[in-house]
Formats: sequence, structure tokens, C-alpha cells
Amino acid sequence: MDEQLKEIIERARGQAGEIANRGGFEAFKASFVGPQGSFTALRKQLGTIPKEQRPEYGKRINEAKDQLEAVFAEVNERLEGMELAALIGPAVDPTLPSPDRPVGTVHPLTQILERIVGIFEKVGFTVASGPEVETEFFCFDALNTPPEHPARDLQDTYYMPDSARFSNVSKHGEERYLLRTHTSSVQIRTMLKEKPPLRILSPGRTFRRDTADATHSANFHQIEGLYVDKGVKVTDLKAMLDHFARELLGKDAKVRFRPHFFPYTEPSFEVDFSAEHLGKVGKKWIEIMGCGMVDPAVFEAVGIDPEVYTGYAFGMGIERIAMIAYGVDDIRYFYQNDQRFLNQFA
Amino acid sequence: MLISLDWIKNYLPELRKSAEEIEEALTLIGFEVEGIERRGLVPLQHVVVGEVLEKAQHPNADRLSLCKVNVGTGTPAQIVCGARNFKVGDRVPVALPGAELPGGFVIKKTKLRDVDSEGMMCSARELGMGEDHSGLLILEQRPEIGTPVNEVFPEADTVFDVEVTPNRPDCLSHVGMARELAAFFGLERVRPVIRTAEESLSVSEGEALVDAVEIEDAATCKYYSAYSIRGVKIAESPDWLKQRLETIGLRPINNVVDVTNFVLHEMGQPLHAFDAGKIRGRRIIVRAAREGEKITTLDEKARVLQPQHCVIADADRAMVIAGVMGSVDAEVDNATTDVVLEAAWFHAPLIRKTSRGLILSTDSSYRFERGIDPAGVDVAARRAVDLILELAGGTLCKRVFHEGSCAIEPTVINVRPDFIRERCGFGPDDAGVKRCLEALELEVSEQGSGSWQAKVPAFRQDLTRPIDLVEEFLRIHGTVKIPECAVENRAMLRSHAREYTFRREVTAYFRSRGFSELYNYTLVSADSLKRPGDVEDPYPSLRLQNPISADGTHLRPSLIPGMVEVLRNNRSDGDASGCYFEWGRVYAEVGGQLVECIGVGLAVLDQPDRKNWLARQGVDFFTVKGMVADVLRLAGVTLPDAQYRLLNGCVYGQNGHFAVGGDLRKSPCRVELGMLDLKYTQRADINGRVYAASIAILPQILEKAPKAVRYASFSHFPPSYKDLALVVDAATSAAEVQRSLADAAKAVSGADIQVESVRLFDVYQGKGLDDGQKSLAFSLTFRAQNETLTDARVNQAFETIQQTIEKRTPFRVRR
Repeated sequence: MDEQLKEIIERARGQAGEIANRGGFEAFKASFVGPQGSFTALRKQLGTIPKEQRPEYGKRINEAKDQLEAVFAEVNERLEGMELAALIGPAVDPTLPSPDRPVGTVHPLTQILERIVGIFEKVGFTVASGPEVETEFFCFDALNTPPEHPARDLQDTYYMPDSARFSNVSKHGEERYLLRTHTSSVQIRTMLKEKPPLRILSPGRTFRRDTADATHSANFHQIEGLYVDKGVKVTDLKAMLDHFARELLGKDAKVRFRPHFFPYTEPSFEVDFSAEHLGKVGKKWIEIMGCGMVDPAVFEAVGIDPEVYTGYAFGMGIERIAMIAYGVDDIRYFYQNDQRFLNQFA
Repeated sequence: MLISLDWIKNYLPELRKSAEEIEEALTLIGFEVEGIERRGLVPLQHVVVGEVLEKAQHPNADRLSLCKVNVGTGTPAQIVCGARNFKVGDRVPVALPGAELPGGFVIKKTKLRDVDSEGMMCSARELGMGEDHSGLLILEQRPEIGTPVNEVFPEADTVFDVEVTPNRPDCLSHVGMARELAAFFGLERVRPVIRTAEESLSVSEGEALVDAVEIEDAATCKYYSAYSIRGVKIAESPDWLKQRLETIGLRPINNVVDVTNFVLHEMGQPLHAFDAGKIRGRRIIVRAAREGEKITTLDEKARVLQPQHCVIADADRAMVIAGVMGSVDAEVDNATTDVVLEAAWFHAPLIRKTSRGLILSTDSSYRFERGIDPAGVDVAARRAVDLILELAGGTLCKRVFHEGSCAIEPTVINVRPDFIRERCGFGPDDAGVKRCLEALELEVSEQGSGSWQAKVPAFRQDLTRPIDLVEEFLRIHGTVKIPECAVENRAMLRSHAREYTFRREVTAYFRSRGFSELYNYTLVSADSLKRPGDVEDPYPSLRLQNPISADGTHLRPSLIPGMVEVLRNNRSDGDASGCYFEWGRVYAEVGGQLVECIGVGLAVLDQPDRKNWLARQGVDFFTVKGMVADVLRLAGVTLPDAQYRLLNGCVYGQNGHFAVGGDLRKSPCRVELGMLDLKYTQRADINGRVYAASIAILPQILEKAPKAVRYASFSHFPPSYKDLALVVDAATSAAEVQRSLADAAKAVSGADIQVESVRLFDVYQGKGLDDGQKSLAFSLTFRAQNETLTDARVNQAFETIQQTIEKRTPFRVRR
């Protein structure tokens, strides 16, 4: 009897290592504890054993059963491990590259726009928006630009045919539709809609009827700022742009105001910046933007009393700032969307 | 505009500033200097023309040559030279011992590598004549040997290319620029001396070369003055005059014509000289051109005029396009003996229109269209008379014509110095402010109680209001003196336009999904909107009135063609991500009117055969549809599935795989999306399928306040699920089936049971179904608000739904 039990346990231990799947495991278990199993057969012999030997025999049987179950548990655990491994696959090589797309790229013009908005945002400017198809009133008349001004010529400004009607671009009178030449038209619409004090930015796409070359583009982008309040002075404008220059180009940036002429501001200035790292561009002063104090005629056109309110306005080309900031030497790159170009700004 | 420093000094004898200082001054008073050119030669001693007689290798240096140069002294000079661009026989400038070159370099007899050198052959840079240092300055004209170089080259001068803003026509002359510099530097300016006295002339007595001057329309010509000079001798102008003109880029013609050009650039007043002998009928008539009237202008171009052009005519024909250019018929030539000199004041917009219309801009039209100094018309004429008499002889006839009037009421501006200081935010005392205005030749008188009257000179027609004087003060006081101040702003509670924050959200959304942002042009070509071979313009209402080229004739109706173009360009570059998005305006015609929409576009290139070490799932129609829905959600817009329908026949959409959603007549957005036409993308050399979408959103919808959210209580009891398959006609849209089922589900919902959701989870077509049928399977979620549902209650509701469907719809329930 002991011999037989010992043999069964040894056989079980010997075969356990060869079990490779659940089917094999079930057959293996059946060969011992199934109805026809060798261990079951021995257990059945218990009834034939003389009464006085039974407790001892029963004890042996139970011991052997425990040992068999331990073998089964061991196999089961091994099989579970194998099954799990099959489920999750082999270990990864963590140095392999991700096959998914890398993070996308935001166009450099958007990035520069965000940088500029971010600087003025902190000082309390908020963005206003308006249509790109505009009318002569909002783009020129209200901005003190007389009908015979050359900028309004068919040669310089894109117009829509007289028959065109836009249901969501409001007109002032019977003026023509055009593609806005600057985003100052947004200032007009905002001043007509909202009451001073106002402090707004108007970024957006603009159009001039230029032949494309390294510095001219069929459309380009501007961002303009407008501040209207009681007692706004030239020194406020200068202080704001000094701040902007330092934020954009660093603490050593300097600002120079050159008197200039724009119909919608008086006095008007062109603004040059200088900064150490811009030295590479070759010139000490780099023209960055135009600005000035809002012309009283503009306030009158939008129904703001110029005796009560004053204000300043400034505007700059986003492409120009991007070209300076990134050292891009041809404006057309911004519109060619070459992946190698875009990736540089990821 | 070109300005000669030497010429300016005629009116500013005390000007002792360097070219750099003057450049800075011009810049800071509002005249951008676009270029500075140094012309001519400063006076140099001991620098003469020499001829190379011999050229040999220097015995001790590979890079030097040893030359014998004839410098006109009889004995050739031995000169060691490092340049290589010359040969024996060339004539070059030679600096002899004793010469001091610009920059202070003194020439001495010296030894170079142990060989005597008795001077230096010079490059242009060494003579201070520009930047060329590539070799010796070879004198191609072969001037006489030994001639001092100063006799070969004109005198030194600095020419500034100055930008004059359109509000400052008074500065389109040397006198005008001198006035500005005098004001800035605080210098006295000297006016040109006019010898012909006004009093010596008469408008009624004496003789003249014409009998009458008539202005037909006083609105086009405000004033016309004609002077007669008899007996001139046409000849070449003297050197000083030719040099003045050449310095600013003009070609000398003859003494009379040159004088008119000189005075134009001296005083800013355009003048015209007629050969009196060519004026027919002894009459000058300022009139509108006749329809189709022909004239051959001095540039030898035949031009056809229209009545909106103004001409100066004689009894028979047009002689001059008024204010723009004369004709070859009345020009002063070598046979001219009698000259009529015109000085006029034409209406600025008329000249601008004429010049633009004829595409003919001249020094004259440029000044007339910006506005001349009315008080200077006759001064300039008499200055020209002086010079003609001096250079061409002749006598001035006593009788002159002054038709019209050039008298203008002087502008007087009432201004308080406090106003100027308030607007600037700083400023000096009253005397300091006054000094600035007076420097600009304004006559300032104090009116008491802190108020001033400023009388504006006639040449400053741009100054009319107190605010104009703020700028004048700042210009002359100096913008560099604007003090540094802190930014002081009071808070304002305005928010960004929703369009802007929406854009930020869209950008972040696509960026995080690996898309690259594109910027394409708003203006597109008609061809990009057509199939090859299509003739008709598919979007005539989006066409501009005045496109500049065929590349940009139309406002874009969609962002898709632009993105495809980028895919095309980037495919040849290999490893492009193929995922793009764009933000920008798009345009649509809705009910006969146009609308401007916010556009968001996306394009994904599906590249199944793209090599990748680990396979990734491809894209399809529904990938794009999902992203479109995400973007619309960011805009606060929902576009129900039922509003999508296939769009066949679209230029760039693949039939059966391209759809449109929404309709701008009814909904706030319109979307086109799906697979792009395979032939269309193949023509663009793109391998693989492109899935794209262009979303148009009405901007006004973004300004609507978002719907307020109100919490609704929800059940805490478990749900119960039932699946249902419906067999429908294959052409039936999923949205239609979904709606019927949702309606049926709604009908059974009540206080004790609710159908929480009806979700489509399977679409099947094929074995087990008839041809032309499909099966749609839905999962229904039931729940009750206040209790756990019993199976019986769910089964009852589910059965009712199935019966409703079978009774009310043509759909068959698969049981």
C-alpha cells in the first residue's frame, strides 16, 4: 500500500513538469483522482482493509491526497502564469519609438500672435473680432481716410463687385464691400457697439493688393490695440510700448518713436525697436509698428466725444514680428506650409 | 525723394552736421531715410591720373606687383601694388607722396618688401567714393595723364533718399527740407533771392507772347500764371546746374527745361515752359480733354485722353496733360527763341485721378496731387524767370497772366499750451512750447488766459486743429524726450471675443491629436474650384471685382482644396505627418446673399502601406465625423446625425463617401466631410486616401450666451438592457430608424419606467437577409427613477416598443 501511494506521488511529481495546457492538466488530474484514476482505486480499497488498520490507512491516504493537490496547485499556478503571459505578450522594449503621430505643430504665426496677445492680456487688453470682408465706411471713412486717398484705389485694395451683398457684414450706408486692409475696422465696430473706457486688441487677417514677393503677401495678419479713456496721453502710449518691447525682446530692448502720418491718429508715429540680439539683423533700429493718439475725427465718426475722451492705437504686422523673432527671411514660407518648416516650431 | 546735402546747404549755410547726424535728424522729425549715397569726390591734393607703363612681379612677394606709372611728371613713378584687376595701359588714380586720402591716410615714399614705392594706385573706396575695394578704379574715359582727379570726378555730395509722408507736400523740395532741418537744429535759413520784382509786371499793360489765358473750369484749375520771355538762346546748362540735376537722378536737357526742373526741386512748384512759337492762335486754354483726344507726351508715348483729364491747350490742340506731362508738340527745343512759362495750381484729386488713370506719375503730378504751396506759385515762377534770363538770356515781357486766384485765407489755430502738455503727458514751459512752434514758422501770439493764436504759413495746409500742433511740438521738441513712465491702467471687465477663445480651444484640440496647423490664402483661383475641363465658374458670386492675378480671384468657399495642395507639396518630402488643420474664414452664398463664416478644416492622409514597426488603426469617414462633432461642440453647436446626407458630384468629394451636414439657411453651421475623390487626390500626386472636412460656422452664433446648465436628478437604481435588431430597406438612413425607435421608446416611458438611451451597435447586410435589406441592432437601456425594475415590467415595455415599430413603420423586428 505504502509502496503504491509512494509510486503515485512520484509519478505525479514526475509528470507535472510536462503539462503544457489545460487539456493535459485535466487528463493528468483524471489519471489520479478521476473515477478511473489510480489514486481513486487505492482509496476505494479502504473498505477492504481490516478495521483496526483503517485509521492508519486513512491517514496515509489523506497525506497522499494533500501531496497530490499540492502538485496540482503547482501545475495550475504554472499554467495560469503561462496563460497570463500569452495574454499580455512578451516584455516590451521601452526604447522603441512610439508609432503614433507626434504632438502636432501650431503655426508660427499663431504662436507669435499668442505671444503678443499674452503680453497685452496681462495689462488688461482683450481681443475683439470682426469680419474680414468689410465696407468702405468701417475700413476708411470712419478712420478719417478721405474718398480720394490712394489706399482706397482699386489698385491697392480688393473690392467685391457692387452687386455683392453680405447678410452678416453690416453696412453703414450704401458703401462698397472690400477686403479689409487693416484690422482697425474692428476698432470702429467695437467703438460703435461698446462704450468707453475700452482696451481692446484686434488681431486678424488683412489684405492688400500687392504682388507677392519676399516681403509682400496676398494676405497677411495684423494685430492692433486701442485704448480709449479719459486723459490718455502720449506718455501712456510710450510706456505701454516700452513694456511690450521688453516683454517681447528682453530687458535691454529700446523703443524709438518716429513722427509719421496716418489718417486715423494724430500725432502719429512709426515705432522702432532695438535690442542686443536683434543686432544680427544688421540695423540698429528695426521698424516694428505704427501708433498714435486716436484722431478726434475718428472719435466723432463713432460718436465718442473727443473733448471728453482721448486714446491711443497701435498696430503691427504679425508676419513681420515673426520674421524678426524667428529670423525667417521670406514671408512666403509662412504660406507654403512645408512640413520641415512647420516642424521647426513644434 | 532724393535730397542733395550740398544743395540744401545753399539755404542753410550754417549747417555743419555730418551726414549721420542729418540722417538721424530727418528720421526723428518724420522723414525716414531709406538710403544714403555719397557721390563725387572730396577735394584731394596730389592725386592725379596715371597710366600703367610696366607691370612686373614683385621680387619678394607673390601677391604684389611692381609697376612703372606715368603720372605726367616726365619720370615714371615706381609703385608697388597689391591689386590684380589692371593691365599695362590702364589709366588709374594715383596718390603721390604728400597726398592725404579720406580717413587720414598720408602717402609717403616708402619701401614695400625692400622695394621703393613712390605712391599708391587707388580703389574707389580709398578715394572715399563708395565701397568698391575689389581692385583699382580703372578710369575708362582715359582722362589726360597728370590731371588732378578732382577734375575728373564731380564734387563730393551726400544724397539722402527720403520718404515724405503724403501729408507733407511742403517738404517735396530742397527749400522745404531745409525749413525742417532749420527748425530742428535751430538754424537760420536763407531764402533764394528773387530779382524779378512783382511790381515790374502788369496783368493789363504791355506785351506778351500770348493774347489770352482762359480757365474753363475753375474747379480743376484754381490758378494759372503765364510769363513771356522773348529772345532766349537755348543751350546746354552750365555745369553747376547739370550737376545739381544729375545728383538727384535727373537728365539735363537744355538750359530752359533744366531751370524749370531745378526750381521744381528747389521750391516744390512744378513749372512748364512752352515754345511760344508752337502755341497756335496765341491762346492758352485750360480745359477738359475731349473724348478720345490724342496727345504724344514727352516720354514719346501716344496717349488717348478722356474728358475727366484736364489739358493745357492752344487754339487747336492739347499741348500738356495738365499738371502731369507736356507733349512733344509744344516742347522747348534748340530752335526755340520765345518761351512762355507756366506756373499753376491744379486741383489735387484731379491730378491724382489723371496720373493714376494714365499710369503716368511724374515729379510734377506727384507734387500737384499732394498739394502745392499756393503762396509760392508766383515766387517759383519769378525764380525761374531769373534763372532763364541769367542762363539763356532774353527779356521778360511786362505783361503776365494771372488767371484764377491763389489767395487763401490763412489758417489760425487757437491753442492752449496746457492742451499740448496734457495730450503729451509732459512738456516744457510755455516758452519752450512756443519755441518749437515758431521754429516751424508759425506766428504765435498770446491771447491772454493761457490761450494762444497760431497763424499757420500757407505751405502748411496740413495744420488746421490744435491736435495737429501737438504733433508739431513733439517733432521739434524731440520724441526722444518723451519720459519713461510706468504702465498705469485701471481694470476693465471685458472678456475676449468668444471667437478668439474658440480658436484657442480648436488649436489645442488638434495640436494634441498630432495635427499641424496650416495657413493658406483666403483668395483662391477659379481653377482650384473646378474639375479639369470645366468652363463655368462654379462660384461666380465669390469673385472679387479686381483680382490681381489668376491665383486669387475668389474668396474661398472651403478649406479643403488648400489643404490638399499642402498634402501634395509635402508628399514629395517623405515623412510628413499627413494630418493638418486650418483656421480661417470661408464664404458661402445663402439665399442670394453671401455670408462670412469662421472656417475650421482638417485633413488626414490614410496611408495603409506606410511602414511602421507596429500596426495602427487607419482612419475612415467616422474618424472625421467624430472630430467635426468635437469642434462643433467647442463652438457650442450640435449638428444632429439626421442632418448629414451624402453629397455626390462635389469636385473634391468621393461619391458615396462624402457628405454634407447642416444648412446655413437653417442651422448655424455647414460641414462637408468625408473621403476625397480618388481621382482628385491622384491628380494631386497623393498616394493613399485623404479624409477631410471643412466646417463653416456663422460667427454671430458664437456671441450667443451659452445655455445655462440646470442639474436634473438621476436614478440610483440599476439599469436593465434589451437588444433589438430591425430589418430595414438598405437605402433607409440609420438616423431615420433611430428616430422611429426613439419615438417608440419615448412613448412607453412614464413615471415607473424610462428608456434612458437607444444606442446603435451593429449594422449588418448579407447572409440571412434579402438583397436590398440591412439589419440595424440597437441596445436599449431601461431604468426606473424610484425602484429596481422587474423583468416583467421591462419585457412589457420592450414588447410594446416592438409592436409600435411593427405597426407604425415598414421596419421588421428580428425576433
